[in-house]
Amino acid sequence: MAHVTPFTYRQGQSLLHLLDVRCKFFIICIVSMSLLSAHLPACFFYFLMLLFFFKKSGLNIFATLNSIKYFILLLFFVFIARALTVKGDIIFSFYGISITGQGLNEGFLVAFKFFLVMLTGLLFSTTTQPSSVKSAVQWFLKPIPFVPEKRVAVMISLSLSFMPVILKQAKEISDAQKARCADLQKNPVKKIIRLVLPLLKKTFLSADSLVLAMESRCYSDDRTDPEFLPSGKEIPFLIGSFIISLSLVWL
Amino acid sequence: MNSSKQLRMTVYTSLFVAFIAIGAFIAIPVGPVPIVLQNMFVLLAAIILGPVWGLSCVAIYLLIGLAGLPVFAGGTSGIGKLFGPTGGYLLGYLPAVFVTAGISKGLGKKMSSDVIAMLIGSLIIYAAGVPWLKVVTSMTYEKALAVGMYPFLIGDALKIIAAAFIAKTLRPVIKL
Repeated sequence: MAHVTPFTYRQGQSLLHLLDVRCKFFIICIVSMSLLSAHLPACFFYFLMLLFFFKKSGLNIFATLNSIKYFILLLFFVFIARALTVKGDIIFSFYGISITGQGLNEGFLVAFKFFLVMLTGLLFSTTTQPSSVKSAVQWFLKPIPFVPEKRVAVMISLSLSFMPVILKQAKEISDAQKARCADLQKNPVKKIIRLVLPLLKKTFLSADSLVLAMESRCYSDDRTDPEFLPSGKEIPFLIGSFIISLSLVWL
Repeated sequence: MNSSKQLRMTVYTSLFVAFIAIGAFIAIPVGPVPIVLQNMFVLLAAIILGPVWGLSCVAIYLLIGLAGLPVFAGGTSGIGKLFGPTGGYLLGYLPAVFVTAGISKGLGKKMSSDVIAMLIGSLIIYAAGVPWLKVVTSMTYEKALAVGMYPFLIGDALKIIAAAFIAKTLRPVIKL
């Protein structure tokens, strides 16, 4: 995550960037759910719409596809597995393995749906700031009893800020060991221990000083609630996404 | 639990959330299949943090991923990943971490009990992941096992041994 992956947030002023994050959550949930019971034409329609929003948010669709190529490979396996196992009219067969028309159809549909849900999630994470995701999680956890939503929000932001630190230290440690010919070590258990142990020790010691710093600044769970800045286009977007999910289910 | 200890556990737990999230990115080149350290961090979180904090650690990790931050393997996220072909492994972390922590705590924090606890934990992860993979991709059980379990077993054994050593050395360092 030290480098820019296609899933990290990109700055922008597009419609999706400005939309309230809670609204985006709702839309993603209902659209993803309805997508699972959609048929092929509806999926294609939805795909076109996604492409439009990709264009609108200034993302390059080809670079995105390139970066999720392993996921696409996995989907290809799903497709093959379905094509081989579903019974139906046989298109061709050799050595007892037969590919059926129904299998091809169903395999393509399932793989395509996973692909679409993936793209939807990707569009969300590239247009939403991590800190606003955190606030939205806090807002959604509030009505749930026995869940300390403020502490959860603090933990989320802490772990998000730990991630680049850990990656940087992991790189430092492995570089330092390469300089000392640690690559020549053949024992994999020793390899793991020599990378992970100093990493954990270092980060836990820095976490200790973080605890001290938080304590000395009188940290407590009683914190100010986050502010949301709705762009005013939430209601039309929600209505639109309801219509789209209904049409996805019925088409 | 006083507030100082609670704050310490909060920070440690978030640290482990971060470790689990980036565990998918830290790979150690061994043979043809590089060893990815994610499930090792899950098991380590279990035996170091204990049942309650360990469980909340994994729950927060899944929550972050579900909320759309790129923390799942390969920098992915979202509902699609959680309910996709490999979602069973992710959801399997929840019971695995709880059971592992419980066994490790119950047997006393020794290296041998850690190894047993982590073995059972890994089995729970596969017990959740492989049937899920089978149902979603409609493979046969032999195929799902061949794709989703057998290639990783050696790496898992190595990781469990390493994790037992790491936990033993780390416990005195971390003041719990």
